[in-house]
Amino acid sequence: MRRFLIALLLSSALGAAPLQADWKVPIVSRKLSNGLVVVVSEDHSAPTFGLCISYGIGFRLEPEGRTGFAHLFEHMMFEGTPDAPKGVFDQVIEGGGGFNNGDTRYDFTEYIESAPISALDPVLWLEADRLKTLDFSVANLDNQRKVVEEEVRVNVLNQPYGSFYWLDLPQKAFNTYPNAHNFYGDFKDLDAATIQDVQTFYEHYYAPNNAVLTIAGDVKPDEVFAAVEKYFGALPRRDVPPRPNVSEQPQTAERRFTQSDKLAHVPALAVGYRMPPRTSHDAVAGALVGELLHNGEASLLFQALVKDKKVALSVNGGVNWPLGNPFEYNGPTLMSSFIVYPSNVTENQLLDDYDSVIARLKAEGPTAGEMERIKTKMKSDWYGQLEIPISRASALSHAALFDGTADAINRIPADIDAVTPDEVKAFAAQYLVPANRTIINRVPETKADKGGQQ
Amino acid sequence: MKALRRLLVRFEFENGFRIIVTPAQAGVHLMDSRFRGNDGGGRAGRIPIRSTTLRRLALAILTAALLVPLQRAMAQEKVPPLPKELPPYGPLVPFATPNVTVTKLPNGLTVWRVPRPGFPKVALTLAVRGGRAYDPKDQPGVSDLLMAVMDQGTKTRSARQIAEAFAAAGGDLSGDLRPDALLSSVQVLGDKVDGALEVLADIAENATFPDDEVALAKTDALQNLEAQEAEPTFLAQRALAKALYGDHGYAVISATADAINKTTAGDLRAAYRQRFRPDQSLLVAVGDFDPNALEAAIEKDFGGWTAPSDAPLPEPPRPAGNNPHAIFLVPRAGSVQTSLWLGAFGPRRGDPDYAAAQVANAIYAGMFGSRLIRNIREDKGYTYSPGGSIQLRAQAGALLTRADVRNAVTGPSLNEIFYELNRMATTDPSAGEVTRAQRYLVGTNAIFLQIQSAVGSELGWLWVYGLPPGALGQESANIQKVTAEDVAAAGRKYFAAARQTVVAVGEDSVVRGQLGVFGLPIEAAAK
Repeated sequence: MRRFLIALLLSSALGAAPLQADWKVPIVSRKLSNGLVVVVSEDHSAPTFGLCISYGIGFRLEPEGRTGFAHLFEHMMFEGTPDAPKGVFDQVIEGGGGFNNGDTRYDFTEYIESAPISALDPVLWLEADRLKTLDFSVANLDNQRKVVEEEVRVNVLNQPYGSFYWLDLPQKAFNTYPNAHNFYGDFKDLDAATIQDVQTFYEHYYAPNNAVLTIAGDVKPDEVFAAVEKYFGALPRRDVPPRPNVSEQPQTAERRFTQSDKLAHVPALAVGYRMPPRTSHDAVAGALVGELLHNGEASLLFQALVKDKKVALSVNGGVNWPLGNPFEYNGPTLMSSFIVYPSNVTENQLLDDYDSVIARLKAEGPTAGEMERIKTKMKSDWYGQLEIPISRASALSHAALFDGTADAINRIPADIDAVTPDEVKAFAAQYLVPANRTIINRVPETKADKGGQQ
Repeated sequence: MKALRRLLVRFEFENGFRIIVTPAQAGVHLMDSRFRGNDGGGRAGRIPIRSTTLRRLALAILTAALLVPLQRAMAQEKVPPLPKELPPYGPLVPFATPNVTVTKLPNGLTVWRVPRPGFPKVALTLAVRGGRAYDPKDQPGVSDLLMAVMDQGTKTRSARQIAEAFAAAGGDLSGDLRPDALLSSVQVLGDKVDGALEVLADIAENATFPDDEVALAKTDALQNLEAQEAEPTFLAQRALAKALYGDHGYAVISATADAINKTTAGDLRAAYRQRFRPDQSLLVAVGDFDPNALEAAIEKDFGGWTAPSDAPLPEPPRPAGNNPHAIFLVPRAGSVQTSLWLGAFGPRRGDPDYAAAQVANAIYAGMFGSRLIRNIREDKGYTYSPGGSIQLRAQAGALLTRADVRNAVTGPSLNEIFYELNRMATTDPSAGEVTRAQRYLVGTNAIFLQIQSAVGSELGWLWVYGLPPGALGQESANIQKVTAEDVAAAGRKYFAAARQTVVAVGEDSVVRGQLGVFGLPIEAAAK
């Protein structure tokens, strides 16, 4: 990360305009003796709190033969413990005026709650309780297996496009199991999961020394540290399996695929470029390029493809999209574009116009106006993620999980500001090349077979 | 301008289902285990909070309930006992209601400002009365095109210049189009609010609806409609609105291909002149701004906007009669689930029993720990995504239920939904359920209203529904006053299965085969 600092000094030495980057969130951290990292961000604007506990396990590291297990396991975390049986968790949190949820991503699984401040102690107790042990119940596993299979049906199997732009694209773009399997899970793997798998996974990864607990909101750091010590302090440190090497051999040739879609009526294209590691100097330029191309109606791809050339209906995408922001990944990651296009446009027409946008970026780089706008937009979006306690806690937790400190949260606006047009140009030239990309064209199965919808 | 609906927003969907997403979810809502907490109508604000723990409170209410002779059986609620070690809730702290300054410009534009120093952004919302229910009967969907093209050119700015001006302020304009109104919102950096305000005013006053932009919007709208025809949620919502509201303007949730084809740039300019007038509009600003500077900027940018001399369009009437008790089938070949959507007329926002219906809905299917979710998800595993909400219109309210269930359990799922609805209609809730639902509604609304753009949107819809900004606080106070008897009364009045209109999107043979036993007519859904 040191290079960012140098870049920042350089830009201020060159007399860059005053930055809007001076808004920061307070961050205080502590590590318990069992390894649990605790982060606190005070915000007294309302008598509420947001809590996020992130564990350093995501679907990248789930066992072979158990695709989708990290996410299935996440569901099991809500199924009760010996002391707080199934149902207590929701009863206490909702009865305390709050709500809860969980998410599984490539490199973390997070559990989040937000509630009026009066519910903080019982919520901390509940989080500590499910880090102590779970109710390893076969009946609950069977129940959640069904729920997850319905989740896959409602989000994938019963939807046009079936989320192919984030479920299928990485499987085609990468070569090794950690990065290239079905993260939602094949039903045969979900069906094969046993309660022993649940127990083993829990024992391996759900350890205080593999977690970051963040609380944002109407709290005082010392009071939070004391409360966390009280509820989590006695939990034992555990041996977490060493992180395997999940890196990929470089891609050497463009990969192109066509899929047919039983449900879609209109074709869509997904393009994925492999990105540099998050901690490399190039990563911030990559994040900026991803936003320059995809962020909003002013974006280069929207203006070119939807407005000027009229070859697309919608454009979405970015680095680590849609599974998170461009600053929170910890392994091989794509910059993805998801483009829905009219039936009378061909894949090659669309791709030619797409490539023209990239070619202009490589040849000329962005204009000064484009740079200024995208930096402003990115900082504004970034602050938006820190607006309310629950989303702030989430962002801080991920940062601390990856870097050991959440300080990057306050550096990101300056990092964005430090990117130069030449860096954008160089990034496009190095990474946005055919040999580094994977393309899936998704077409309606047949024009005639539209299920009687016409 | 893009419709909010398709951006998968961070708060309330048009249908009343509500989610609050985290950064990891921003953009697309996926792979979260719990799906959504929602209530579809609860609002936060200042509430009389008793300084006690919930457990003590619940115990007191429970004791009191035992002494009151019940007219009906109390629902048997299986709730596990709380762990002995669980610490009690702390003392409750009252929530502050957003502090709204109300002014009106001489041209009739209403302005609601909510200064909130600290977080360095400002949310702007322009609410304009007149949505899909105001479209000509033979042109359903004029509003959709109006929204799509209103920011694609003004007398002095091109579409691209408009998009770039908002981006330069740190925002993106998005539209929330419903039957009664169109809300246009943008959230920008506080020190760049002037630039955004100027462009927003330009769009409100000087949109030109250029011929080429209208032509492109029509082509895209036809293709987007084609794409949406593949989505079960779109098909279900369209069918349900048609079934509930029949010939009423509230039956329209999207443009038809026919209306898109025949709408001209001239039609859009005429509709824009009719609807975009200061005396039928509200501007809301929430966030970190200098109140005096913002007031001056608003006067500068919006002061020259003039209303035409003719009368504004009339509001739609109250829908008459009852919604039909029948099953409306939308056949969808290849479906691996049946999407069940149920609707029944309920209270309007502002009706005396609205708060009781909110609490009843939370108990029924609005909270994660609600009866329906515990039943068909956490017990039976039929579905990932069940939920209940209250859909609001200026002249109507509708209780909605949804669940996407695997084909094999289509019939059993509707049976359980009917059972839980009838349980609401025939038995009393427990005191614990009522207290939890009240606390949930008031607390989550307070959290929701920490999002400045949510405050802007909430205030905008309050105004559309003819309610004052103080309703934000009043509604939470009303929720606090609801008794178990009020909830039971709302249950009797609105929840019975016999009141429900049912929409099923799925394989024709699955739906007919499994839903025939209910003895309801199975009708083809209208488009």
